[in-house]
Amino acid sequence: MNYKRFIVYQGAIGMASTMIFPFYILLINNVGNSYSQFGWAYGLFALTAAICYPFIGKLADKVGDKWLLGVYSWGMALTLLFFPLANEIWHVYILQVIMGVFGAVQRNSEKTVLARHVIKETAGKEIGKYHIWTSIAAAAAVIGTGYLVDFFTISSIFYIASAVFAWSGFIVMKKEKQFSGLPE
Amino acid sequence: MKRYFMLMAYVLIFAASLHYFTDQSAGPTVEDRSRLLPVKMKAVKAGDSPSDIQQIVRDANAAGDEIAIAGMQHSQGGHTEYPDGILLDMKPYNEILEFDAEKKTITVQSGATWGDIQEHINPSGLALKVSQSQNIFTVGGSISVNAHGLDIRNHGLIDTIESMRLLDATGTILELSADQNSELFKAAVGGYGLMGVILDVTLKLTDDALYQIESEQLRYDEYSDYFKEKIKNDQVKMHLARISISPESFLEEMYVMNYSEVAQQDLLTEPQKLKEETLIAVPKFFLGLARLNDEGKEAFWKTQKTYAESVDGKKISRNNVMRSDSEFMEYSHPKNTEVLQEYFVPVDNFEAYIDDLRKTLAEEESFNLLNITIRYVEENEKAVLSYAKEDMFSLVLLINQGTDSQSIEDTGRVIRNMIDVTLDHGGSYYLPYYGYPTKEQMAEAYPRTKEFFELKRKYDPKERFMNLFYEEYKQ
Repeated sequence: MNYKRFIVYQGAIGMASTMIFPFYILLINNVGNSYSQFGWAYGLFALTAAICYPFIGKLADKVGDKWLLGVYSWGMALTLLFFPLANEIWHVYILQVIMGVFGAVQRNSEKTVLARHVIKETAGKEIGKYHIWTSIAAAAAVIGTGYLVDFFTISSIFYIASAVFAWSGFIVMKKEKQFSGLPE
Repeated sequence: MKRYFMLMAYVLIFAASLHYFTDQSAGPTVEDRSRLLPVKMKAVKAGDSPSDIQQIVRDANAAGDEIAIAGMQHSQGGHTEYPDGILLDMKPYNEILEFDAEKKTITVQSGATWGDIQEHINPSGLALKVSQSQNIFTVGGSISVNAHGLDIRNHGLIDTIESMRLLDATGTILELSADQNSELFKAAVGGYGLMGVILDVTLKLTDDALYQIESEQLRYDEYSDYFKEKIKNDQVKMHLARISISPESFLEEMYVMNYSEVAQQDLLTEPQKLKEETLIAVPKFFLGLARLNDEGKEAFWKTQKTYAESVDGKKISRNNVMRSDSEFMEYSHPKNTEVLQEYFVPVDNFEAYIDDLRKTLAEEESFNLLNITIRYVEENEKAVLSYAKEDMFSLVLLINQGTDSQSIEDTGRVIRNMIDVTLDHGGSYYLPYYGYPTKEQMAEAYPRTKEFFELKRKYDPKERFMNLFYEEYKQ
């Protein structure tokens, strides 16, 4: 996967994940009913991630970033399909734990790709540029979804985000093209 | 190749998820407080036994606290709220106590929903006699607003109550029915939680049956005659109509849906599976368009007509007619909210009434009316606060409005005008909604208003049971 495709990829998954996060609270609101439950849902996410980081870090050097990004995309695409079916707070807890694992995979891989790609001297500029595009994608997603929720249900947002993740998984698995003669 | 395999596997799982999702029950109901009246209460209390609730009432007596009784809180005029009072949440008090399939009666705690009852009685081939079109409300809540629905043959909700137990302000449990404590019974049905806490209720049931839907389009000026002709046919058991809110056919085009008992009832060999809310994204989308602008309203109206046509000739069980979708109407917007109004107008006055209503609304560009559903209510004056002074059509209006004070004022003006028109045609309006109407309008629509409030103070002299509706309209 070349670096340009990595940015498109990160933009896409950034879109899909910011799409669900602010509105995700509405789902918990339907399912659970206290602030402590919100706290636990998010806390479990962060805790699981913390536990997973050491393993994921080692794994990244062994199997490669691309493989992990693929796992993340398809994993999220599938996990999100279970959200509309959640109707008890413990369903949400379990999904949060699974999301915690994938969240850790993504955060770690994002950084390892960047670390392997950028040159120390221009790292600031490169990473800044990277953040511009991923942030724009995230902004577009979250604003757009605000309108979508008015027209659709929270559940459909999960389905749409899941499809975006699936698409991102699909492109990340795309084989490297042979040298086409064009400069990158 | 691997990625194509992944994609195929994903599509399969996606389809499975969607399938289970649409199959799954409608899910937990979200409480719906009228977003126009945020009220800070002292505490929310609930009990799942009569003695718990008795204790809550006694404690309130001792502490001098007011109690506002709440079910699903779909009443929009502060009927379930009182500042600094105790909110008595009846939802956990929801057991089915006794079901007698032979005698066709069921006794339930008042926090049970109509949906709970349907699930219990459907396997025995029984159905409710009168309930709202949606089944998400609690039994106690519906009785307190003296609700009505699509049924045109079983009279009023009050007639389907064999008896009920009411906890009064002193903490005593009384037996209420048409024969026993009948004065209090007639005040508590449609009593908006002011007479006491309805504890449990014995309801009369009827047989589930298979109905065939017949849908037709007509003009508003044909409707009264059409309906009077239709109702002569005993087979027609339920009826619903809608009138256009699209600017292109505003208050002119209509469609009706009749539910007639089919001759070969043996088709209903076993109880039809209760339907669950399915693809709500489609109606939700078109309702969303209707909120936006005139084109959206036209698109919404066309979709409604197409839907009505598409179900023509279909067969459906009585239980399933009485559990309409409602989730697609759930709406959350930071600045806007959706309110309901309901007007009753005598069957014969319908045409003239609609003409006047159209005139009243002609100038109101910013009044965002989204839907009008029409049902029929038979004359029934048993409840003290009875709206059906004769055989009437009921028009339920769904209105989108802002929550700021200017919007409330504007909407209030339009609504008061509409109520004036309704009263001019010998009609009345429904009380569970926001306090837009004036006291005078209430007194005119409900000639026994004064008597009702006197009964309130007779049975609850210390005004233990309080709510904003009472505070606003008491006389």
